Amino acid sequence: MPGYRPEPDRDSRAWWDRLARHEFAVQECDACGTLRFPPRAFCAACRQEGWHWRETVPEGTVESWIVSRQPFVPGHRDPYLVVMVRLTAVPGALVYGNWRAERQPEAGERVRGTFTQVDEELTVLDWAPESRIAIRSGENSPVR
Amino acid sequence: MTHVPKRLLEFTDRTAIAGVGYTPFSKDSGVSTLTLACRAVLAALEDAGLTPDEVDGLATHRVGDSAPPTLVGPALGLSDLSWHLDQFGGGSVSHAVVGQAALAVAAGLAEVVVCYRAINARSEFRMGGTGRGLPASPEVQYQAPYGYVAPPQQFAMYARAHMLRYGTTAEHFGALAVTQRANAAKNPRALMRTPITLDDYLASRWIAEPFRLLDCCLETDGACAVVVTTAERARSLRRHPVLVSAAAWGGGTSHLSCDDPTVTAAAALAPRLYAQAGVGPADIDVAELYDCFTYSVIVQLEDYGFCPKGEGGPYVASGATALDGALPVNTHGGFLSEGYVHGVNHIAEAVSQLRGEAGDRQVPGAEVALSTAQPGYVLPATSALILRRA
Repeated sequence: MPGYRPEPDRDSRAWWDRLARHEFAVQECDACGTLRFPPRAFCAACRQEGWHWRETVPEGTVESWIVSRQPFVPGHRDPYLVVMVRLTAVPGALVYGNWRAERQPEAGERVRGTFTQVDEELTVLDWAPESRIAIRSGENSPVR
Repeated sequence: MTHVPKRLLEFTDRTAIAGVGYTPFSKDSGVSTLTLACRAVLAALEDAGLTPDEVDGLATHRVGDSAPPTLVGPALGLSDLSWHLDQFGGGSVSHAVVGQAALAVAAGLAEVVVCYRAINARSEFRMGGTGRGLPASPEVQYQAPYGYVAPPQQFAMYARAHMLRYGTTAEHFGALAVTQRANAAKNPRALMRTPITLDDYLASRWIAEPFRLLDCCLETDGACAVVVTTAERARSLRRHPVLVSAAAWGGGTSHLSCDDPTVTAAAALAPRLYAQAGVGPADIDVAELYDCFTYSVIVQLEDYGFCPKGEGGPYVASGATALDGALPVNTHGGFLSEGYVHGVNHIAEAVSQLRGEAGDRQVPGAEVALSTAQPGYVLPATSALILRRA
């Protein structure tokens, strides 16, 4: 995993804590039921503050991807693939992750999130083709 | 036509750009951004035929990397400015700064405002993201863990989305890079003046696929400034005035929430902008469009209405954006080949074209120009100006 450590804020800390327990959760508005991501205090649909977590399966479709070949992260010189995924559960939401399959993604293909445990405190969400549902974290290397 | 409030129409052509100033562009200026800012401000005033004592406003945009008006004013002996603006932001807000200066002048808060951007984007703060700290935005935490941190990566992501949806190709991006380099070859100020071919483009190394090196703008040390004053005052000055016909602000595309990443905020802003100036895309004689990357020009050609959605690539490849094409674009070579001064050099080039002073790269008879900021990716905001020869 070639990235920086995330810096959670007061809106997102609990989301990262859940991810560390290998739970993928989004917020659900108490007032209107709209699901949202990333974590924020207000519902953009009804402008109310009350919400609760809704655990969901991390799945989506491939919107785009890049193969990064410039050392934008100090110390990481090898190419890596970052995928932009449209979340199925939350309309309009885009998420990112490293690609955990030996082939490149395809436009619009269905993908499933896979929890990659970096260390005791940190887990991040990567993505793999949906057909590999039983994928285990770290099973595949990111595409070179 | 889009409804424009009467008060906004009263703003049309009330103010003017009366002068432009540059420092040389380089990879290492050897001086502070404060020094660069002072040099560009004084050069713009000299161009306008104004003295520093006549300045009552200063404005800039920056991302914590440059000298604000509160430093530049005192450094030039201007300790009591009646208006100033220190706008956070990168290329999304460059044109908003000039728009706000024009509003301040139109409202009477100031009469002579110098807008500047001073930047050591190569020797000090690498704007491309290599080796510098991460931006302080809550959105970064959902991207940085995956090594997705830099503008070339982010725009490459949007570019591929456009390629997937509309069939845009590397050759389309390359055609833009080649065309702008040909313009830069006619611009003595440009950093990159050696013509390139499509093969040179295709052979340039990968930065973040689908982007190659020649998709990416330069990272430049330098400064550029423009003087905004009333149209009336500008008519009494040294240079032919260039009127601010329209200035518009818009939203943008969040990294984390977006229904269609191939449509930028410019699509919503454009009708307001054109209505304010009373013109349409067909009336634009020359366009200086924010070109941090090749793709950003292609998507703007669509969203500002010069070609149908998805046809920006073929439009460029047809030669339409060349100096002798239907819509000359980035006549100075743009960020890709002239230099990267975060939007202000695009405004200054539009002014040169409308004055008829652009030398070998002059678009004959240019009367109306569009100049745009970054169309709203990364920092969800955009802005644009329509300028007109008085």
